Amino acid sequence: MATLVSVAAVMVVTLLIGLHGVAAMRTTSDFLVASRRVSPLLNSAAVSGEYLSAASFLGVAGLVVRDGIGALWYPVGFTAGYIAMLILVAAPMRRSGALTVPDFAEARLASPGLRRLSAAVVLVIGALYLVPQLRTAGLVLSTVSDLPYWVGVVIAGVVVSATLALGGMRAATYVQAFQFLVKLLLFIVPAVWLVVVVGPQVRHAAVHPVEFTRFPAETAVEFQVGVTLTLSEEVTVRSPDGTEAVLGPGEVPVAAEQTLVFPEGAPVPEVAGGGVPGGERWHRPLLNLSDYGYPLLATLAVLTATALGTMGLPHVLMRFHTSPDGRSARRTAAFTVALLGVFYLFPGVYGVLGRVLVPELYLSGVTDTVVVALPSQVSGDWVGVLMTTLLAVGAFAAFLATSVGLLLVISGAISYDLLPGGLRRLRITVLLAAAALVLLALPSAPLAAGMLVTWGFTVAASTFCPLLVLGIWWPRLTKAGAVSGVLAGLSSTLGAIAAALFGPPLEGWQAILITQPAPWTVPLAFATMVVVSLRGQAPPWSRTAMLRLHLDEPPRSDPPNR
Amino acid sequence: MPHRPKRVAVTSPQTRLAHLRGRARGRWRVPRLDPDDAERAAVLYRKQRGQGLLALVAGMAALAGLPLVFAAWPALDEVRLWSIPLSWLMLAVLPYPTLAALAFWQLHRAERIERR
Repeated sequence: MATLVSVAAVMVVTLLIGLHGVAAMRTTSDFLVASRRVSPLLNSAAVSGEYLSAASFLGVAGLVVRDGIGALWYPVGFTAGYIAMLILVAAPMRRSGALTVPDFAEARLASPGLRRLSAAVVLVIGALYLVPQLRTAGLVLSTVSDLPYWVGVVIAGVVVSATLALGGMRAATYVQAFQFLVKLLLFIVPAVWLVVVVGPQVRHAAVHPVEFTRFPAETAVEFQVGVTLTLSEEVTVRSPDGTEAVLGPGEVPVAAEQTLVFPEGAPVPEVAGGGVPGGERWHRPLLNLSDYGYPLLATLAVLTATALGTMGLPHVLMRFHTSPDGRSARRTAAFTVALLGVFYLFPGVYGVLGRVLVPELYLSGVTDTVVVALPSQVSGDWVGVLMTTLLAVGAFAAFLATSVGLLLVISGAISYDLLPGGLRRLRITVLLAAAALVLLALPSAPLAAGMLVTWGFTVAASTFCPLLVLGIWWPRLTKAGAVSGVLAGLSSTLGAIAAALFGPPLEGWQAILITQPAPWTVPLAFATMVVVSLRGQAPPWSRTAMLRLHLDEPPRSDPPNR
Repeated sequence: MPHRPKRVAVTSPQTRLAHLRGRARGRWRVPRLDPDDAERAAVLYRKQRGQGLLALVAGMAALAGLPLVFAAWPALDEVRLWSIPLSWLMLAVLPYPTLAALAFWQLHRAERIERR
């Protein structure tokens, strides 16, 4: 209950900042930003603050419980994305003066058509990125309270859109940078506390995984989504109200919003689409994607998507424009790699402890809540409640930071690139976009989080990555080449996603290439762009348009205060 | 008449960007570069491309190499350091300092190329 109150407090404060943002918060801090140039370190803290989402705060640890140690490849890819950004995009993109990829497309290739196509891709990436955020926020809200999942999602959607429509707290680099520090502290302090108080036995068990085959004690499992369990023998379970039921053997469907209490020593049922926590595949440091096998392929697929997709994330690209010039944009990217590295040392801690203390979460089909569920397992007194509260607040801060930024970019793409209109139009667009995203998030609770998280990255990697990389480094890129490459990448990725959602169930390497299509969609998009460009003729100014991006600014001689 | 400072609207960077975007939808102009600038840009482009490729290959070798190492030597799961499997540490800890070092090396080299 205390936790719910604190989360509510965070939401109210966010709303108040949104309301008063125009008058107080924004002017003061932005006055600072405007008068004192933003240093790369501060800006990289702001970039990290915007980037660390609910998926990083909660999702990765949940994936470790569900899929195994190999899930730690996700954060490696998330961090490596900034290396690609640093090497290929950061400085030239800043020097282009373009604020978004649609702007870049028009500046480099003089194609309004490509601009609109890129804006449509921004919508797709934003939606695919925001749906898992809303899903996780909904799950956390329904874990720390008794609200059902859909209420949690609706509340999260309302808070985000209201914040933005009322003025948007965003913006201020100082607010974002502060957010990063808050998230870092709220993540690290409970992790250290957990490791200290769990005791030597749990610590030993955490690094010596054994297969989760029988319930070590009477265990209540709360099913937030409907799942099908496979039982090897008959099990008598209780409902919390005391009625008993005999399940199995065989396949047993369990409805959502139900709690079953398994007796001590009962065999653990299997769930479709997941290995058993602590099993043979669980402890391998390679990604075990829904038990499809081929761990090496799965690992490289996720790495490709996340490392190449980061440079195309619209809300992150926008952040780099707070840098005064190309050189500091490059420094910002480099510092971001270091800052993210500190944060990503810790999801694994939650993951391995969660595997020991709350392995039953994996039965419920939703492991994203493991981080928030841990403290109460370790300590029943006020410290446990405090730690749960800290984590829930941090998770919500992470969710809000990313979602508000993304929703702004989505609404901007609609109201500036697709259907030009005024500020009023922008506000209405925000609300409509949020409503549409909530409707998408409602049925997505049972989907595998690992799949959802990387889809946004995969679309970015197969559309904007080739567009930016070839646009910046290859003078012969043509309009036609860029358009057909983006179309090829977009349609193939969306086709694969549709097949994963609605197609027949697949097994083995085919399943990996459909659920994580980056290994073939990214090369396809690059190849299309190159082949179509070579068949055409780039305009005579093309080389100048590209070289301009590589020309460094003259050293600044004016004092920092303009 | 007393000098009155010009009034300036103070807004958040993102609002400013949004307004700019709304206003800056002017006509597209053919990009131009001074001959001197064009020459310098061409040199910078070539050098940065070489350095970028080098860093990219190094990064890809490190990132794609680690899963191959794990696949080739499963015995790394059995070796323990402070009772933690060595392969877990290699995945959960090792990549971050490596990536940060690569980032700062690339930053240093890229800035040196631009030094006048």
